[in-house]
Amino acid sequence: MFRRFLLLFVSIITIYACSSSEEIAPIIADSFDRNALLENIADNIIIPAYEDFSGKMSALKSAGDSFSAAPNQTNLEALRASWFVAYKTWQHIEMFDIGKAEELQFKFYMNIYPVTVSDIEDNIANGSYDLDNVNNQDAQGFPALDYLIYGLADSDAAILEKYTTAENNDNYKNYLIAILNQMNTLTTSVVSDFKVQRNDFVISGDNTATSSVNKLINDYIFYYEKGLRANKFGIPAGIFSSTPLPGKVEGQYKNDVSRELALEALTAVQNMFEGKHYNASTTGASYKSYLIKLDRADIADVTASQFNTAATQIQTLTPSFAAQINTDNTAMTKAYDELQKAVVLLKVDMLQAFNVSIDYVDADGD
Amino acid sequence: MRKVLLSLGCFASLMACSSTDTEIIETVAPATYKFERAGVTSVSFTGQTTRIEMGGEFVSALKSTSKTVTSLDAMFAHTEGENNFSTAALNGSSKSVRSKVAASTDFYASNTTDAAAIKADFDSWISAQVTDVFPNWDMEASEGNAGQIQEAGGGSIRYVSAKGIEYNQLIAKGLIGALMVDQILNNYLSPAVLDAASNVADNDADAVSSGKNYTTMEHKWDEAFGYLYGKEADATAPVLNNDSFLNKYLSRVEGDADFAGIADEIYNAFKLGRAAIVAKDYTTRALQAEILKEKISEIIGIRAVYYLQQGKNNLPTDKGGAFHDLSEGIGFIYSLQFTRKPNSTEPYFTKAEVDGFMTTLQSGNGFWDITPEALDQMSATIAGKFNFTLAQAGS
Repeated sequence: MFRRFLLLFVSIITIYACSSSEEIAPIIADSFDRNALLENIADNIIIPAYEDFSGKMSALKSAGDSFSAAPNQTNLEALRASWFVAYKTWQHIEMFDIGKAEELQFKFYMNIYPVTVSDIEDNIANGSYDLDNVNNQDAQGFPALDYLIYGLADSDAAILEKYTTAENNDNYKNYLIAILNQMNTLTTSVVSDFKVQRNDFVISGDNTATSSVNKLINDYIFYYEKGLRANKFGIPAGIFSSTPLPGKVEGQYKNDVSRELALEALTAVQNMFEGKHYNASTTGASYKSYLIKLDRADIADVTASQFNTAATQIQTLTPSFAAQINTDNTAMTKAYDELQKAVVLLKVDMLQAFNVSIDYVDADGD
Repeated sequence: MRKVLLSLGCFASLMACSSTDTEIIETVAPATYKFERAGVTSVSFTGQTTRIEMGGEFVSALKSTSKTVTSLDAMFAHTEGENNFSTAALNGSSKSVRSKVAASTDFYASNTTDAAAIKADFDSWISAQVTDVFPNWDMEASEGNAGQIQEAGGGSIRYVSAKGIEYNQLIAKGLIGALMVDQILNNYLSPAVLDAASNVADNDADAVSSGKNYTTMEHKWDEAFGYLYGKEADATAPVLNNDSFLNKYLSRVEGDADFAGIADEIYNAFKLGRAAIVAKDYTTRALQAEILKEKISEIIGIRAVYYLQQGKNNLPTDKGGAFHDLSEGIGFIYSLQFTRKPNSTEPYFTKAEVDGFMTTLQSGNGFWDITPEALDQMSATIAGKFNFTLAQAGS
């Protein structure tokens, strides 16, 4: 009896080992409820984050209107404060390149940096411009505001002059308002559309190239790789060029905010991974719980821990990444390296576990 | 009893699997590295040929005293359209050598910190050649002073730093590791690159890259091949010694009776691996990649030991000759950090170990001070990690 049992055991091992070596697994739906994942992300992360951002965006626009009506130091400070509050919240929604946001290329009108100063100045000098034109994507959004409220001159007095006594001060005011209107209009459109589409979004849980869940996962990883890792760290640290490019940090004119914005973005990535409700400590269905359900808690743990390691390294940097790059770029590349380690975990290990295909291609040197 | 049966069980399962595998593997070794799809070649490695040619002109320019740091940097980190080279094709190319230095996926994708330090090493050697060696080109080198030193018996004149180092040799031999070996072993032969994105599914379906006659996986393998054979007139019949880099030193190692046959082993692994990709036989592909990791790493290890030993032998009677040997040796030693132990994620020597060798060789007045004992010890340490002896490599 005992022997037979062992023989059976041996056969099972043999069969199991062989089938795993063939590696031709048919695509089978797993036991995880992908729709519950979408519901949690839509209702407890995307919509509340969108609403929060929408409110802060309209507050920013109001601050801009007040400043334009009365350009003085007090209103400038208020505008700057609103700008930063909204910019931080923006870090929570840039990753959602879905629905209207994808269709309108929302992020390209909100956060392309560095801006091209000559484009901004030409637009202001001409007094006419088409902000919907692709050429002006690097002349608007948060980075253009950064320039307009911090970068126009060396002192606040000189900045205020642009909006008060300068010959074309109306053009400066008009441009500021035009940018804010554009940002606010796009935001309203994206947010309201997502709410309308919410039900369609959450039922699209199939494993296909166009399903909500596959696109959301891909967008998440793409954002992490490009929006966070490359834009905020790799490009300014010179990973993709022959020399470091400190002029390419986020918030370069305010200058001492790049670390805070980056940490906010990483927090958003971590929260999304853990399904943490926006501005709350409750968690729901997430990539992490999906991995655990698939018996891959190992991937979930090492990914969560790698995010923390990256955050710890980022916290050692100076508030201004430009200053960090100029004094000790090695600390900056170390932060990049810690972020990169999680790319592999997300893009290879997690996606293989989910059996989801990647829908974007890296540019290769050859 | 239980244990016996259990181990029998494991054995049985292993046996069962390997026998299944051998039934699947049918890849036949092709005669040459010739692969076609619909009667047209599917092999392409022009980017590698370009970089080898850029590297060749750059290394030659390191001995031209009319060059400046700026102009040498521009050759090293070429920008498309700039007239850094002798041909319009190279000048018009978007490729650059520097962008692929210490740039492999396996070793440097999440270690840009070391990658930046390695690139900075090359930058510093270029700069030192111009600022330290060029101004002393016609001076006699002496302990602690850069200048020229002639090999004994009316031999070649060598231009060395204050420590006796020919930077052009250090750079050229360092590039063999940092560019060729790193790209071949740690990038293009890596599953992270070969199997990236949808490469496996595409290769299984014979889906070629957009506008190309090859699948992406086939092309990646060709790019590995190209860093070794990119300057061969006919890749189906390589003659070797066709560039100043890896191709040349494979020829040298092949010429040593102790290692005769290595050139065939490497070529055979490349062509069988490529055929395996065509046959969708990824087990055979992986086996060839491991062979290549061992054999190509050996080229670096053998030449490092060889030059240390030659340098040691020449030191008492021929400083010029010895410094030339040691300059090549220090470059191959630098390249050790880009080698790859088969079936591992590690190089034969880590960056820290290599940095230790570099420090030893350059301490004090460098080659003026180095002792035969130190060179022997270093040679033994290197040979000890490879599958060859000091005596085999040293002659």
